[in-house]
Amino acid sequence: MDLLLHLAIVIAIYAVFALSLNVEIGYTGLFNFGHVAFFAIGAYTSALLTLAGFPFSISLLAGLMLAGLCGFLLSIPALKLQGDYFGIATLGFGEILRMVVNNEVWLTKGPMGLPGIPRPELFGLHFDTLPAYLALSGGMALATFAVLAFIVLSPFGRALKAVRDDETAAEILGKNAFRFKIKSFVIGSVFAGLAGVLWAHYATFIGPGDFTLTETILVLLIVVMGGKGTFLGPVVGAVVLIFFQESVRFLRLPPEWTRLLGPLQQMVFGLLLVVFMVFRPEGIVREKGGRRGA
Amino acid sequence: MLEIRNVTKTFGGTRAVSDCSISLEGLGITGLIGPNGSGKTTLFNLITGLLRPDRGEIRFLGNRIDGRLPHDMAQLGLIRTFQLSRVFPRMTVLENMLLAPQGQTGERLLSLCLRLPAIRNEESENRERALELLDLLGLTRLHDQFAENLSYGQQKLLELGRAIMARPKMILLDEPTAGINPTLIRTMIEMILKMRERGQVFFIIEHNMDVVIEVCERVFVLDHGEKIAEGRPEEIQKDPRVIEAYLGC
Amino acid sequence: MDSISYYLQTALNGILAGCVYALFAMGLTLIYGVLNFVNFAHGELIMWGAYFLFLFMGEPFGLPLYAALPPALAVTGCLGVAMDFSVFRPLRRANRLTLLIAAMGLSVFLRNAAQFFWGAEVRTYGLEVTAGLRFFGLSLTMPQIAIIAVTILCVTAVYLLFFRSRLGKSMRALSDNLDLARISGIDTRRAILAAWVISAVLAGIGGILLALDTNLSPEMGVINLIKAFAATLIGGVGNLWGALLGGLLIGLAENLGVLFVSPGYKDAIAFVIMVIILLARPYVIIGERSD
Repeated sequence: MDLLLHLAIVIAIYAVFALSLNVEIGYTGLFNFGHVAFFAIGAYTSALLTLAGFPFSISLLAGLMLAGLCGFLLSIPALKLQGDYFGIATLGFGEILRMVVNNEVWLTKGPMGLPGIPRPELFGLHFDTLPAYLALSGGMALATFAVLAFIVLSPFGRALKAVRDDETAAEILGKNAFRFKIKSFVIGSVFAGLAGVLWAHYATFIGPGDFTLTETILVLLIVVMGGKGTFLGPVVGAVVLIFFQESVRFLRLPPEWTRLLGPLQQMVFGLLLVVFMVFRPEGIVREKGGRRGA
Repeated sequence: MLEIRNVTKTFGGTRAVSDCSISLEGLGITGLIGPNGSGKTTLFNLITGLLRPDRGEIRFLGNRIDGRLPHDMAQLGLIRTFQLSRVFPRMTVLENMLLAPQGQTGERLLSLCLRLPAIRNEESENRERALELLDLLGLTRLHDQFAENLSYGQQKLLELGRAIMARPKMILLDEPTAGINPTLIRTMIEMILKMRERGQVFFIIEHNMDVVIEVCERVFVLDHGEKIAEGRPEEIQKDPRVIEAYLGC
Repeated sequence: MDSISYYLQTALNGILAGCVYALFAMGLTLIYGVLNFVNFAHGELIMWGAYFLFLFMGEPFGLPLYAALPPALAVTGCLGVAMDFSVFRPLRRANRLTLLIAAMGLSVFLRNAAQFFWGAEVRTYGLEVTAGLRFFGLSLTMPQIAIIAVTILCVTAVYLLFFRSRLGKSMRALSDNLDLARISGIDTRRAILAAWVISAVLAGIGGILLALDTNLSPEMGVINLIKAFAATLIGGVGNLWGALLGGLLIGLAENLGVLFVSPGYKDAIAFVIMVIILLARPYVIIGERSD
């Protein structure tokens, strides 16, 4: 039963993470490979504040705002780049942030990480049991889904999709592509920060090793494999991949096998990315009026 | 309304537009003709901010627009269509139309939170107007089809409708009738004429001389990037320089 | 400590690192030029090259270093070709982003495959430490001498191949315009094959040199990929000499840079250079090909 609750919580958190990336990749065509950086910013900011004694509501808000602010600051230079160069530059940013977290021990305790993050208390409710945390993260996931769906279905979302599909034609119709992309990037960053806050307060321990290229690949795979540019795609991807990743942890295997399990899982993830790009780049859940290709 | 003064644009070694000066008052329908490669589309690209002139200036309603970003032009009231239609294929016909109105409250992120009722009203007003225009274009039954499912001619009609929907002060049409069948050409011409009655100003690049004669009050002729003639269509047809340009390529 | 010789030693280390980066960058820019995409799995060719040597030197082959080199490099070349055949050829017409993501997946796969077989621990070739050179207060170990010698050898070989052979001419034509080359009757398949072999072998040689000088780990590919990419950007897409220069510059920048920044940020220097170049691109690149 604990396994199921654990799975559900992690799925909820990664659903938020993936939905946030989907806004950038799926609805705006921005392939942000450094998205994990905002996850980390949300996690660390809220963790440090909660550990310092601030109420969860403050830590949460601070995590969201700082993630959003950093997203805004990064997007301004980064959005001058096209396509895959944007991807590589954001990847570079993600890695640089990880190095900063690793090195600035005075702030983040470096490689040792931050232990003992307390479970949150909000509106007098203490979310320290698994079912309670599921309610919290599940609720946040649903709220994220609702907010993002609302944005995507609005005139703003419509203009965003136009910018994605044909930037020149959108500009000709008066849409300031640059501004739309920045806003999309900030939205994505804020919700990535939310996922980070939820993660930090669930895992109760975070370290720079939680925010590496591995996590970037995982969330990218979730979005791309699940189906970018759709509502259900990231959720489906999260369910499938997190189930695969987390459930093996609870298998009782002989010790020689556990050492091999990690790399084996990652090999499967890598292979899945390749297979999907070759055979089904749109992902499992296809966009309406589907045109092929990433 | 639109003033192009001594504009030059060079690509590599070729002068696509050469010291061109054209002036349009805010009235009726003006044509831009010339043999292939005479710089007509380049001129449109210069006007709408997709290209920057090497020399000269372009003014719209007195404001300098050369070198500004394309979205500024639209916000000032200048909309264009493309020679190869650029509708948004993965969006429906109606969605394409709804993208056109300028300054929509719903496109501003903050307004989404705060001004929901106003946005709902705008949306339904825009919908009504869009459906009206689609009706005039004969595209009503296709309104919820993805634009990529339309025939080429229907896409061009949609692009025209979308431009009109934006309520611009001037519409630049780049070869609106190229590549579509005669029935749709008729629909297109009637739409343009009807809009002119309502006060819409057009600047049209056209190859089809019949269309030019029927629709345009005034015509400019380009050849090798230079303006070689201007006047009423009947005059232009008889102008020896024009005839030579078309024949003596 | 004589401060001048300290700086000179640092500069020398920079050049040594730069030689290795140059080899990585030349292989990367070759594929970038010929096939117009960033092979994100290039780092794994570097890493597997080093591990293949480790494999042939260990059980059950037990070959000495020089005997193990040819098979190791041959197999690395095959790996490069296999990568193209299985992943990149089916995606030949795909857009750059799809290719980048596929390459990322391939990179994850190969990296973890190495970890699967050899574990995550850092390893060495276990060679005895032989005396190196000392001059003017600077020192060079044997592996470091090898780096310089081998780099010069490789650059010469690459020059001869590219500018003095028919195959090289074909590759340069492909670099210019793949479709045009196809239509002109150039044997594109052979040229692409050759490009992959060369790219992989250069990566493998670089990886082996790096591992001889330092050590082996499954993660060694990733960080070097970014440095190779930064060097590629400095030199311009498809520009071999630019990649050479870029590699040397990055090596120097890194090593001289840690005189001013904390060593924990050493790897970040190449990243930062890469990001700066990407942002300044229109103005900095030598001989950039328009996309």
